[in-house]
Amino acid sequence: MHVVPQLLVSTILLGGIYALIAVGLTLIFGVMRVVNFAHGEFLMLGMYLAFWAFALLHLDPYVTLVVSLPLIFGLGWLSYRAVMRPVIHASHNVQIFTTVGLSIALQNVALVLWSADSQFVRTGYYTVVVRMGSAVLNLAQLIAFAVAVLTTAALFAFLRWSYTGKLMRATAQDRAVASLMGIDTGRVFALTWAVGITCVGVAGVLLAPIYPVYPTVGLQFVLIAFVAVVLGGLGDMAGALIASLIVAAVEVIGSYVIGTAWKEVLYLLLFIGILVVRPAGLFGQRGAEAIGT
Amino acid sequence: MKGTWPAVAFFAIAALWPVVVRDPFLLDSLVLILLWGSTAAAWNVAGGYAGQVSLGHAAFFGLGAYSAALLGTKWGLSPWIGLLVGAVLATGFGILLGFLSNRLRGPYFALATIAFSQVLLIVASRWRGFTSGSEGIPVPFRPGFWTLGITDKRIWVAIVLVLAIGLYLVELYLERSRRGFQLAAVREDEDAALSLGVPALWLKVAAIAASAALTAVAGALWAQYVGFVDPLYVFSVDLSVRFALAAILGGIGTALGPFLGAALILLLETYLRARFGGIGAGLVGIYLIIYGTALVLMMRFAPQGIVPWVGERFRRRPAAGSAS
Repeated sequence: MHVVPQLLVSTILLGGIYALIAVGLTLIFGVMRVVNFAHGEFLMLGMYLAFWAFALLHLDPYVTLVVSLPLIFGLGWLSYRAVMRPVIHASHNVQIFTTVGLSIALQNVALVLWSADSQFVRTGYYTVVVRMGSAVLNLAQLIAFAVAVLTTAALFAFLRWSYTGKLMRATAQDRAVASLMGIDTGRVFALTWAVGITCVGVAGVLLAPIYPVYPTVGLQFVLIAFVAVVLGGLGDMAGALIASLIVAAVEVIGSYVIGTAWKEVLYLLLFIGILVVRPAGLFGQRGAEAIGT
Repeated sequence: MKGTWPAVAFFAIAALWPVVVRDPFLLDSLVLILLWGSTAAAWNVAGGYAGQVSLGHAAFFGLGAYSAALLGTKWGLSPWIGLLVGAVLATGFGILLGFLSNRLRGPYFALATIAFSQVLLIVASRWRGFTSGSEGIPVPFRPGFWTLGITDKRIWVAIVLVLAIGLYLVELYLERSRRGFQLAAVREDEDAALSLGVPALWLKVAAIAASAALTAVAGALWAQYVGFVDPLYVFSVDLSVRFALAAILGGIGTALGPFLGAALILLLETYLRARFGGIGAGLVGIYLIIYGTALVLMMRFAPQGIVPWVGERFRRRPAAGSAS
C-alpha cells in the first residue's frame, strides 16, 4: 500500500494541469457554444513560446509567464477577430470545420518554422525532486500545479464577482436576452475566446519544463481535455475541474496497473462510455447533448 | 436522368483517360482522385445525407486496410476476402456507433468518433503480436487480379472507377428515393420526422453503417495499391479530416461534390509539390498551412461548397430571363 500516497499526489498534480487546459475549453463552449478543435494548438504555441524564450534569451519559463500572458491573450483576441467572428452565428458544422482548419494551419506553421523535432526546456531544476512523506514529485510539476490552481481560481473569481464576468455568464445563459439587455455579445465572445486561449497558453508555458514540445503535441493533451470537459458537462467550469482530477486518476492508476502503453485506451473508453451513458456529463444539464447547443 | 450530365461527363473522362493517357504519373493521379473521392463520398453518406458529421472515419478506412493486409500476410488470403471482412467489421462498428451515438448531435458526435478512431489507432500501434505495432505492415506483392498484385495502373483505374461509380449511385439513390427523402427529413428535423412515422433511428444507423462499410472497402483497396499500412496514418485524425474536407469542398450532401473536392485537393497538392519542389517536412507543412487556411476561408465565404455554389449561378440565369 506504500504506492497509494504516490498515486494520490501524482493524480492531483496531473489533474491540476489538465484542469487549466479543460477550463479554457469549457469556458469557450459554455459562452460561445463552440467546441474549439484548435485548443491543443494554442497549448503547443504556449510551449514553444516558453522554449524559445529559454533557448534564445535564457529566460526561465516561469519568468516568461509575465510576458507571455498578455502575448497569448493578444493572440487569442486576434484569432477571434480573424477567424471566429465571421462564423460565430453559423451552424455547428461550419464552426467545427473552421476550428479544425485553424488547427491544421497552426500545427503546420509550427512545423515549417520550427521543424518536427522534439524540443526540450532543460532548466537547472529539471531533476530537482521534492519529497512529501513517502511520495516523490518533480519540482516543475509542483510549480505548474500551483500556478494552474491559482489561474483557475482567479478565473472563477473573475466570473463570479467581476462585472465583465457577470456579462459573460449572462451571455452563456441566454445570448438573445443578454443582447436585449444591452450587452455587447460580440465583445463578450471575443473576450471569452481570448481568456480561454490564455488559460491553455499558460498551461503550455507551464508544461514546457515537463514535456517535450513538437508541432502536434496539442492533440494528446486536447483529447484529455475533451474527455474532462464532456465528463464534467460541456460548459460547466466546476465540473471540468473535478472531471480533470478523475481523468488524471484514471491515467495515473491505469499506468500503474496495466502499464503506460495502454493508459490512453482507458480514458478514451471512459470517454466513449460517458458519451453513451450520460452525454450531458456528471454535472451537466440532461438533454443538452441532444439539442446540440 | 435529369441533372446527372456533369457526373456522366466526369466519369466518362475518367474512363477514357487511361485509353488516351499513358503517363504513369497522370494515371496515378486519377487513381488517387477516384479513391479519395470515394472515401469522401462514403463520408458524405453519413456526414452529408444523414447529417452525422464524423471526424473519425479513418477508423473504418484503417479497418479495411488492416483486414486486407493482415489476412494476406498471416493466412495468405486474397485481399478481396480481406476487403469483404473489413467491410463486415466496419458495418458492425458502424451499427454500434450509430446506436451508441444516436442521441449525440453536432460536436458531441464528432468527439465520439474521434475517440473511437483513437482507440483503434492505439490498439493497432500497440498490439505488436497481431498487428506488428507502429512499424506498420508491408503488403506483399503477389501478381494476379485475385491477389490484387497489379502493376498496370490502367487496371487500377478500372477497379477504383467501379467503386467510385458505385458510390455515386448510392448517393444518387439517397437524393431521389423515398428512403433518401426520409433521411433528409431526419437530418433537418428529427422530431418532426419521427412524428410523421419516419423510422429515424433505423435510417441513421443504416446510413452510418453503409458509410463505414464503403470507407472500409476504399481502405482495403488503398492498402493494396500503396503496398504499406501505417497505423499512425490510416487511423489518424488528419485522414478523417481529409475525407470530410473533400466532401465539404465539393459540396456537402451532393453526389458529385466529393469527387470534385478530391480532384481539387490533389491538384493543389501536385501544384505545390511542383512549385516548392522536393519532399520534406517544409513542403508538407506549407501545403497543409494552405489547406487549413483554405478550409477556414471556405467555411466563411462558401460553406455550402463548390457544386451548390456553381448550381446557384447556373439556375439564376434562366430564372432572371423568365422574369424579364
